[in-house]
Amino acid sequence: MRFVLRRLGFFVVTLWAAITLNFLIPRLMPGNAALAMMSRYKGRVNPEALHALEIAFGINTHQSLAGAYFTYLGNIARGHFGISLTFFPDAVSHQVLQALPWTLGLVGLTTVLAFLLGTLIGLVSAWRRGGVLDGVLPPIFVITSAFPYFWLALLSIWLFSIKLGWFPESGGYDVTSTVAWSWTFVGDVVRHSILPALTILITSIGGWILTMRNNTISVLAEDYVRMARAKGLKPWRIMWTYAGRNAILPNLTGFAMSLGFVVSGAILVEFVFNYPGVGWMFLQSVENQDYALMQALFLLLTVTVLVAILVADGATAVLDPRTRDRS
Amino acid sequence: MKRVLALALLVGVGATIWVGFGAASGKKAARASATSSVTISNEQGTTWTCGFNPFNPSVQFLSFGTEYEELVYVNGLKSGATTNWLASGYAWSNGNKTLTFTIRSGLKWSDGKPFSADDVLFTFKLLKAHPGLDLNASWSVLKGVSKNGNKVVFNFKTSAVPYFYYIASQTPIVAKHIWSTIKNPVTYKDSHPVGTGPFKMSSCSPQVIKYTKNSSYWQKGLPKLDTVYYPAFTSNDPANQQLASGKAQWGSQFIPNIKAYYLSKSSDNHYWFPPLVNVSIFINLKDPILSNVAVRKAMAYAIDRSRVSKIGEYGYEPPSNQTGIVTPTFNSWLDQGLAKKITYNPAKAISILEKAGFKKSGGVFQTPSGKPLSFRIINIGGYSDWVASVQVIQQQLKAVGIKITPENLSSTTFDSDTYNGKFQLAYNGNESGGPAPYYELRQLLYSKNSAPIGKAASSNWERYSNPAVDKLIDQYGATTDAAKQHAIVAKLEAVMVNEVPVIPITEGVDWYQYNTKSLTGWVTQSDPFAKPAAYEHPDWGVMLLHLKSK
Repeated sequence: MRFVLRRLGFFVVTLWAAITLNFLIPRLMPGNAALAMMSRYKGRVNPEALHALEIAFGINTHQSLAGAYFTYLGNIARGHFGISLTFFPDAVSHQVLQALPWTLGLVGLTTVLAFLLGTLIGLVSAWRRGGVLDGVLPPIFVITSAFPYFWLALLSIWLFSIKLGWFPESGGYDVTSTVAWSWTFVGDVVRHSILPALTILITSIGGWILTMRNNTISVLAEDYVRMARAKGLKPWRIMWTYAGRNAILPNLTGFAMSLGFVVSGAILVEFVFNYPGVGWMFLQSVENQDYALMQALFLLLTVTVLVAILVADGATAVLDPRTRDRS
Repeated sequence: MKRVLALALLVGVGATIWVGFGAASGKKAARASATSSVTISNEQGTTWTCGFNPFNPSVQFLSFGTEYEELVYVNGLKSGATTNWLASGYAWSNGNKTLTFTIRSGLKWSDGKPFSADDVLFTFKLLKAHPGLDLNASWSVLKGVSKNGNKVVFNFKTSAVPYFYYIASQTPIVAKHIWSTIKNPVTYKDSHPVGTGPFKMSSCSPQVIKYTKNSSYWQKGLPKLDTVYYPAFTSNDPANQQLASGKAQWGSQFIPNIKAYYLSKSSDNHYWFPPLVNVSIFINLKDPILSNVAVRKAMAYAIDRSRVSKIGEYGYEPPSNQTGIVTPTFNSWLDQGLAKKITYNPAKAISILEKAGFKKSGGVFQTPSGKPLSFRIINIGGYSDWVASVQVIQQQLKAVGIKITPENLSSTTFDSDTYNGKFQLAYNGNESGGPAPYYELRQLLYSKNSAPIGKAASSNWERYSNPAVDKLIDQYGATTDAAKQHAIVAKLEAVMVNEVPVIPITEGVDWYQYNTKSLTGWVTQSDPFAKPAAYEHPDWGVMLLHLKSK
């Protein structure tokens, strides 16, 4: 019980700190949103229009910092994130919700896949240390994960979509297709996601393989594994329930954190493949001094990471009694 | 275990290949059955909001020209040649203080309701009631607007001939029966625009907008295209690939090494980059050293603009001249004698500085009081061509003994610093220009476009102020006589050459690529009937009216 309470208390304090920093940091940046808007209009906006725009945006309204902070807290509590300046006059929540499914679908799925595949390959190659699989897969994926993502993505576009024409080179779906819940549209979306998904997979899987393989190797030297062998248990059973289950523990926290970071999108992926998602939205919001959008996105990110860590802590405590409180 | 893995791998690879091939063959079929359509490739760095408010500067280019139309179209590539559009005619009177438009009758809004002079009157009253919509500052010169039958009469505070461009050509006319019901038109999204234009927005997602033809469009027999696709691109490379592969036919893109990347892919691929405004070094005239005209002149002589153009801009943006007249677009305005006065001449630059009492020490000139000619020049770090250009300039200035240090900033910091005058030198091409050179010169030199250091100036960022020049600019506004206008612009060119308030380096262009495989009617260098970039509004509507399938 005390363990749970302490964890929850820690969660709340971190959340508050994150929310406050989230409020302060954007306000320390130079420039302002109307100016960003003005530059987009190439100096043709007259000062009166600029002033009117500022009022419409709700900036430079001479609200005190403390006042703005409490309004901000109140709005967050009620789920109001305000109007985005980048997507003026659309609501921030609407824009984020529109982009989030794409990110969750692509980055979320590939993160899970990379973890599962990486763990599996790591486990098997450690089990058959020195075997063919161990000699080939881990080195290959460790090398590929060291590739600069940008380069790998451009290369795969050049090879698979420009030279071979197997996959479309960019976008979430074909511009001429109609958005609907139809097989053709879903197929189109899947086709567009294969290349970005593969590149993410290839560059992220190496880490999981390496850690899982090393964990398994040290676990395999433990007495209880020798004991299991001595008992004459089937090899696959030793591999899964004795070695695998113990070796995966340290990786779980890492996995939870990377799940949390899924909502930050993958800026490079979205940039190279022109894939719709929240990653480039982050970038846009920072460039356009779009406080409302920036805050909503950072908040989303911090909250999911914190929740993911909380869940991972809980899961580890359940799986591994040693991490629980001594009391 | 091994076998299972291998099998899974095989299945995976097989499925991938199948899906891939399926995609390729499916696309071929789609292309064969395509009706006449055009796909635009114009990277805007953002997905679409699906808002089409024509008074919202960030989305205006998506509806102004297709949905919403102007009173008179003004061609910026033909020194402002006009084509009557929603107005069937116009006339200046009362010493160029009154402008009267005759509004066409018989037109319909896309929802079937009739269009009339009432809508025009309403639109301008709307701008007055909501300054946030009046992006061209029409009401800073307007006194009143009234209606008389099918005529709409604009009364100006003073003679305001150049404002014709903004009122007739840059103001989208909206429907009274719709916009009068909207409480706050500044924050109005306008998801389903109702206009008089040739196309209707038929579907929109964050990734692509589809426009279909307005079959009851008032210009008979037009448009000839059925569909326009406008995909959103958040980065340049995918947009360029769509052009190179022929999936998009109309590009408005910067493409590095365009010959190898684009032209070589198909003999149907073409490009034309008409120059429109200067990219210049803005010199902060409030800086104690830079306020000395000798320093500014020396810099103007020391820079080899054609080299900057070749190295920094791949030669896409031609070199400028010191008069500020963009050539060849505005050749008829250029004073040849003045243009030849300041050309690349490092020896002359050195002699100017020496004559003004500067002395070289350690390779860098110093003021008589011992301060080195060393300045920081701000630039937008994300514009790789500008960064390269400034590097070339840096070397050239170093050769004569002037040191400049580039600072590559984010665009927001850069804008904030230039607007507020917090710079010594700024490399900038963000003026909007206009259909004649006067507009850019006015943006650069008119003191009303300036502001004290620390306050945002709208376009006179170098803070030039000269009552005589202001008077010239006002005089231009009072005349429709082309000869008089040319004489005034020649005087402004002389100011640019003699006082060097800014140093034009290269000429910013309209980015424009086009594919003639299935479509004709494109703007070409020999027939520049509209500004050809897809982001130019309302010009892109004019282009779409000319396009048809072969």
